[in-house]
Amino acid sequence: MSSPTPSPLDIEIESLKSKITTLKSNLRIQTSTILSSPSTTSLLSNPPSSSQLKPKGITPTILKSLRHYASLQKAHNQQSLYRTCATITTFRVQDPDPNAVDGGAVLGLRIEVFARGRFARPYYVLMNRPFAAGSRKENGKGTGNGGKENGKEKSRGKKGKYANWLRVHRHTIPPCVPLSGLAARYLPAPPARPDEQGREQDLVKFARRLRRELVRYHHRLATITDLRKAILAEAESETNKIQNVTPADAEAKQITIEWEDGQTGRLVMGDDGEIVQVVALNGSGGQGGGSGRDREVVRELVGQAKRVEDVVRRLRSGTKG
Amino acid sequence: MAPISIPTTARLPSSLRVDPSNPAVFKILNRLSRASLLTLALDWLDERNLALAAPYLRPPSSSEYDDEEDEDEYADDFNPPLRSLDALQELYTSLQSRKGSKREVIDRIIEGDWRHGLTLYQLAMADIQYLYDHPTSQKWAAYRIMPLKPVSTNDEEEEQQPPEIDQESLVIPRFHPSTFLKNLQAQVPPDVKAHYNFDRHRTLPLSILRIFILDSPYNTSLGLQSGSSSSKGTRTARKSTTTFDTSRTVYIAFPDASPYIYISKPQLLSGSAPTTGTGSSTTAAAKVTGINTTAGEAKSLQHLLLVGIPAALSRPRQRFCLKPTNLATRNLNELLDRRGGANTRQGAAGGGWSIYADEMREKGKGKKGNRETPLDTVLPSPPLSEEENEAEGAGKGNGKGEGNKRAEPPLSLSAKREERERKRRRLVAKARFADTGLVGDGKGVERVDIIIEDEFPSSPSNQHSSSTQPSSSTSSSSSSSSSRDRDRDTERDTPGDRGSSSSSTAEKQKQEEWRPTVKLTFHGSHVFAGIRQLVEAGIIDGEKMPGWMTGEEGVTVGKVREGRIRGNKGSGL
Repeated sequence: MSSPTPSPLDIEIESLKSKITTLKSNLRIQTSTILSSPSTTSLLSNPPSSSQLKPKGITPTILKSLRHYASLQKAHNQQSLYRTCATITTFRVQDPDPNAVDGGAVLGLRIEVFARGRFARPYYVLMNRPFAAGSRKENGKGTGNGGKENGKEKSRGKKGKYANWLRVHRHTIPPCVPLSGLAARYLPAPPARPDEQGREQDLVKFARRLRRELVRYHHRLATITDLRKAILAEAESETNKIQNVTPADAEAKQITIEWEDGQTGRLVMGDDGEIVQVVALNGSGGQGGGSGRDREVVRELVGQAKRVEDVVRRLRSGTKG
Repeated sequence: MAPISIPTTARLPSSLRVDPSNPAVFKILNRLSRASLLTLALDWLDERNLALAAPYLRPPSSSEYDDEEDEDEYADDFNPPLRSLDALQELYTSLQSRKGSKREVIDRIIEGDWRHGLTLYQLAMADIQYLYDHPTSQKWAAYRIMPLKPVSTNDEEEEQQPPEIDQESLVIPRFHPSTFLKNLQAQVPPDVKAHYNFDRHRTLPLSILRIFILDSPYNTSLGLQSGSSSSKGTRTARKSTTTFDTSRTVYIAFPDASPYIYISKPQLLSGSAPTTGTGSSTTAAAKVTGINTTAGEAKSLQHLLLVGIPAALSRPRQRFCLKPTNLATRNLNELLDRRGGANTRQGAAGGGWSIYADEMREKGKGKKGNRETPLDTVLPSPPLSEEENEAEGAGKGNGKGEGNKRAEPPLSLSAKREERERKRRRLVAKARFADTGLVGDGKGVERVDIIIEDEFPSSPSNQHSSSTQPSSSTSSSSSSSSSRDRDRDTERDTPGDRGSSSSSTAEKQKQEEWRPTVKLTFHGSHVFAGIRQLVEAGIIDGEKMPGWMTGEEGVTVGKVREGRIRGNKGSGL
């Protein structure tokens, strides 16, 4: 490692190590494929009784562990299927904090986002039930936690009514998605006074709206990437080429456009990728002199396009023609 | 005499030159290392900066024969000016390769090439260079930009009730540097002059705004109290430089694509300025000027910024305010992680929860990329991989002592138990901290203040279920062993006497009401890594440890009730 030129032995070890990693991952893939194949499942559920058909070396313990893994694999396959198709899935987590509310029970919300041809790492929202306080204490099953939950004065008056009300505990939503606003809209806290009439919580709406925002965000990002690709593919001979496009704000709704001659512009995208406004300014390099709006450049760029994707298409067709 | 100066509300121009003999100039430059100084000088000579950082060059001679005369003029000059930029660039480049003292470079800059004064722009660059060299020199506090409810058009009503935070707004604040600066300028009172300089952080996704504040109404050189004129080298008699001494520098960092901003603690340029009593600083007058030197007034300057910044960020019909997020640290990396932009997800999922946020988690293990995709049918912990995981776990943990132990072939029974215990503790630490709180991750906070307001355990015989009290005593015991653990965290338990002295008699009757104020201060280079080490060493019981000790709340100041941090609750909402 320390020597600047690795010895041939080191190189060999390195390559063997990488080979091991590949083989191991191959083994894993094969294992899961075999375990999830229907024939394996049927073999495991009722192993053939006749001695010829019985595979060699299968002891009851091995069979047991195989069944165990098969059932795990089945569950995993089902989960993957749900995650792929439904894109919003839930799961349960145990909060490791010994002082966690509600005995550490946490509901996890997993939101898949499919953009640019692949699944992004899912976003998680983890919710707990801090409003269950009063009811738990009364039930007297304070196993380490129940006794201390009297701090929640809020729901004391109406025990149990808000027992299943959720609050966002942890999440991995990027700050450009207005999670707090959505949570305040769809998962409001119980009213401060018991006589007050508050709104109901709606987890389904919350999840759908949140997913919508996340998907929109990813699609906007993808559109900007497409735009950049289209610009890179543009013919070199083109006069006054666009040099760069970059998202200018957190939500990727505004795009900064830089032309080759130093002009800059802004494209404002709506929530769903429609073009709200485009402005190009005469930069220092422009012939127009001074700073002002350059409508001609904008017309050249946008034309009749209503959506950013149309601009991408225009740019692409420009290269072909 | 200086020409008539009219107080204006304009900002200090970047091209304004400060007399090089001003001690402040020397102070700013002297903070930098020699290498940084040379890079800085070369940066000044760069084409892009030249307009605002022109060096003093020998005036071009009309003919070759004038050479002799010129030589005479600068004959006794220790740092004679050069003729051209190229020569100057060469000079500084050659200085880079040569060894020498820092003083030599400073002298060269102050008395030689910039003898006609350094511009405010240059000083700003020097300051920012210092910030790069010493990334922990500033203490940053993170603030969240919150949208306000649109106020009614009725002006009277608006004055009566302060605008409320709009909880349900879906607006993400947007930030545009030049507009922001223009608006911020309008917020600064006219008797304060400020110089603004935007800089892009070299490595982190941040824009840094340096605000240099003078309490002078003039935006000419009069404000800097130096009479240097642009004609070569002639200087009028300098007056005292008190104005410059009371100047302050504040940095505001804008992380990319994030609804947070970080504000540094205002710093006095010269430490020698007199300090007055803090009592006077709380008056309203001090709040407005806010430029003097006491701690309280430093706060009021911060207050000024806290008022001014949201106003500058706001636009018609879209108003914002700043909300402190209880996170203050010197570590910008940690801030970006916790209160960062688009690509950081850890903001509200710290500690053990970070497994949900950590994008790179599986990549480190040599598996391909994103294991979380639903298209991957391989089980999360596939069969035939147990032994590998085990080996990994053993090799991964803390280090050297471990390796020695494993090398010894025969293990006694107690050693084996010890080994098992250690492994278990490491697993517990892993469960509670996941991949956060590691010593080398460079994301440490250096101070955490916690106030515990839990009920006092009613009686020693009564088994109290709360684990806050036991754990706090554990942590105090840890300070004795901290030296052993190469752990610089020191912890002080300061039982507050406010509550106890007054209610000590009443406490007998109403035991459950007595809540002593226990203040814990964790102090060290990386507090949560220290706690993690203590968990791994078995000094803190990792299973009973309250959640706030893992740093999952993402705050450095907090109040604990019922074993949980109040208010913040870590949800990041």
